[in-house]
Amino acid sequence: MTAEVQPVARPPFDAELRAGLAVVGGMFPPTITPDLIDFMRTSYAAPPIDDLLLAKDIVCTDDVVVAPDGHEVVVSVLRPKDVTSERPGVVYAHSGGLMFGDRFSGIDLVLDWVSDFGAVLVTVEYRLAPEHPHPFPFDDMYAALDAAASRAGEWGLRRDRLLVAGASAGGGLAAGLALAARDRDGPALRGQVLDYPMLDDRCVTASTHQFDGVGVWDRVSNETGWTALLGSARGTQEVSPYAAPARATDLSGLPPAFIDVGAAEIFRDEAIAYADAIWHAGGDAELHVWSGAFHACDIFAAHTAVGRAMIRARNGWVERIIAD
Amino acid sequence: MQELLGRIARLDPSASLGLRVIACFDELMVGNVNTRALLAAAASLAGCVAGFRSEVSGRTVRIDPRGHHADGVLPDVLPDFRQDASDGLTVWLERYGERQPNDAIVLERLALAIRIRHGRGRRSDHRRDLSLLLDREVDVQARCVSAITLGLRPGSRYRVVCAPLFAVWPEHPQGPEDVVPTRFGAIHALVLPDGDHAVSAAPSGVGVATEVEDLHHSFRTALVALRLCDPPAVGSVLADDFGGLIGLLADAPDGSFQPDVALIDTVMTHAWGAETLAAVVRSHSLRQAARAAGVHHSTMQSRLETVTATLGFDPFDGYGRTRLGTAYLVWRLRHSRVLDLPAPTTAP
Repeated sequence: MTAEVQPVARPPFDAELRAGLAVVGGMFPPTITPDLIDFMRTSYAAPPIDDLLLAKDIVCTDDVVVAPDGHEVVVSVLRPKDVTSERPGVVYAHSGGLMFGDRFSGIDLVLDWVSDFGAVLVTVEYRLAPEHPHPFPFDDMYAALDAAASRAGEWGLRRDRLLVAGASAGGGLAAGLALAARDRDGPALRGQVLDYPMLDDRCVTASTHQFDGVGVWDRVSNETGWTALLGSARGTQEVSPYAAPARATDLSGLPPAFIDVGAAEIFRDEAIAYADAIWHAGGDAELHVWSGAFHACDIFAAHTAVGRAMIRARNGWVERIIAD
Repeated sequence: MQELLGRIARLDPSASLGLRVIACFDELMVGNVNTRALLAAAASLAGCVAGFRSEVSGRTVRIDPRGHHADGVLPDVLPDFRQDASDGLTVWLERYGERQPNDAIVLERLALAIRIRHGRGRRSDHRRDLSLLLDREVDVQARCVSAITLGLRPGSRYRVVCAPLFAVWPEHPQGPEDVVPTRFGAIHALVLPDGDHAVSAAPSGVGVATEVEDLHHSFRTALVALRLCDPPAVGSVLADDFGGLIGLLADAPDGSFQPDVALIDTVMTHAWGAETLAAVVRSHSLRQAARAAGVHHSTMQSRLETVTATLGFDPFDGYGRTRLGTAYLVWRLRHSRVLDLPAPTTAP
C-alpha cells in the first residue's frame, strides 16, 4: 500500500491552549535554531514592569553580587511596600532556554508570592549562553543565593525561610542550586520550585521526540539551548549535575521539591523522572503533570483553565512552605 | 495575550494581528469551550474585562484578563464595546479609554463564538465570505454573492495565495483575506488580482488565475503549491509552474493508491535518492542530470540503473518521464513538512 507519513502520536493540547498557540507562535516559534537566538532576545525581552509593581505595591531595588570570576551580577530585590520586618526570601531564576530572557521574564506569576505572602523576591540577571557557557549562568545564580543568606539582614529576608525557584531553564538552574547548596553546606533551603524544568542535556526521552515543530520549545530548541550551554560536552560524561541536574546520581538530602510540567511538552518525562528519583532517595517531592499543557502555558496563557489550575496549585504549595 | 500581540506587532509591524485573533477564536469554537473560556480569551486578548449576559437565564459573567471572575458590580458599558450575540445574548468589553486596535475584531469573534456555544445558529451558516467563496460544495450563486461582498468583480480574474499563519510577509499585498479551515489546519488565504502574483511571503503558494466562480480551484492549487515549498531554498511556489498537473494533484483523493509513489519511497531510502530524483525530473538527459546534481556522469549512470531497476521503467523514456514526475510530486506532497515549519527567521 502507499506510504502515508504517519504523524508522531502525542497527547493533544487542551482546546483553550491550542487557541493560545495561534498567538504565542507569533513571538515564540516552536523550533529555535541558533540563528533565531537574536530574534528571541528581542521577542522574549520582558516588558517594562514599573506599572505592574506600582499596582501591586511592590518596591524594586537593584543591587549587585559578585560571581567567582569577579563579574558583577545584577539582582533585583522585590519586596512589599511598607513592610520593614524580615520576610521569607525567594531566589528566582528566569526562563528563556539559557540563551534569552532577563530577570523580569515571566515575573508576573512570581510576584503573586510577594503580594500575597509578603515574600522578598531576589531575581537574578545571570549571564546567558552561548556567550557565557556553563558554569557562568550557574555560578551567577549561586552567588545570588549565597548573598541572600549572607546579606539577609540588608535585604530584609529571613535566612531560615529561603526558597529557590525557577521556570524552564531557570527551573534547571534552581534544581542545580539545591544540589550545590547541599554539597557545599551552603544556605539552608526550605524548598525548591521547579516549573517545567530543563534538567537533561541528553535529549533522549520519549517526550522529547513527541513534539517536533509544535507547541513551545521543541526537541530542536532544546538541543540548541543545551549546546549553547555545554558546547561539545553536551551528552557526554563530562556534564556536571549543576548544569544538568538529571545527571545527579545522589538526590538525597534535598529540600522539598515542587515540580510541575505539561503532559504535552518535551520536559514531561525528565520532570517525572526527577521527582521519582527524589522519592527513591527518600526525599519529598510534589509532582503535577498537567493534561493538555504545552511548555510554560501558565506564562503565555495564564487566563486558561489549565493555566489557572497550574498557578493555583503552585501558589498553594509555596504558601504552605513560606507564608507566616 | 494582549501583551504578546503587542510584541508581535513590534517585531513585525506588518503582521496581521486580526488574523491571529480570528485563528484563536476558530480554535476555541472547534474545541467547543465554555462561556467562561471564551470570555477569558477575549479579556486576555483585549487586556480588559470581557462580559456576557443572557436575558433568558438572567446570568451575567464577567472575566478579567487573568481568567478570574471580575470583582465589583457591573459598570456602565459604552455602546461601542457592546454587541448583541443573538436574541437575548449580549457580550461586551469593559473598556473606558480609547478604542484599541483589536477591540472590534475581538468583540466580533467573541459574539460569534458565544452565539454558537449557546446553540443559536448552526456553524455552517456562520462561515465567513472567503470560506464560502473557496468551497466548491457551496452553491455557485452563494459563492458569487460572497465574492461581491468581498469586493471582487465577476468576470475579472484573481489568484488565491495560501500561507500558514506563521509565514513571514516582507510585503503584505492588499486583498480580501481570512483564515480558512482546511484538513491541514488553519490556512491564511488572500485573494489578489491576476497579474499581481509575485508574492514575497514565505512559505506561500500562489494558485492559478480564475474567475470568481472558480476561485475554489485556485485555492486548491495554491494549497498544493504551498505544500511544495521547501524553505528557505524555495519560499514560494507558483501553481502555474506545474500547468495542468497541479490541478490533477489538487483533485487527487488523499491516500489514493499510487504504486509509483511507493517505489519512490524505496528510491528515497538511498542517501542520494532525493538529490538524484530532483535532478532527473528537471533534466532531459543523464549528462544534464549529472551536472544538475553536481556528480560525475558515471556516478549518475550507476544511480540511474538502480532507479530504473527499482521503478521498473526508464525515467528518461516516453511516459517514464511523466510517471516519475507525477509520482515525485505526490511523494513530495505526502512528505511535505512546510505546514509544520515554525515561525519567523527575520532578524528583528
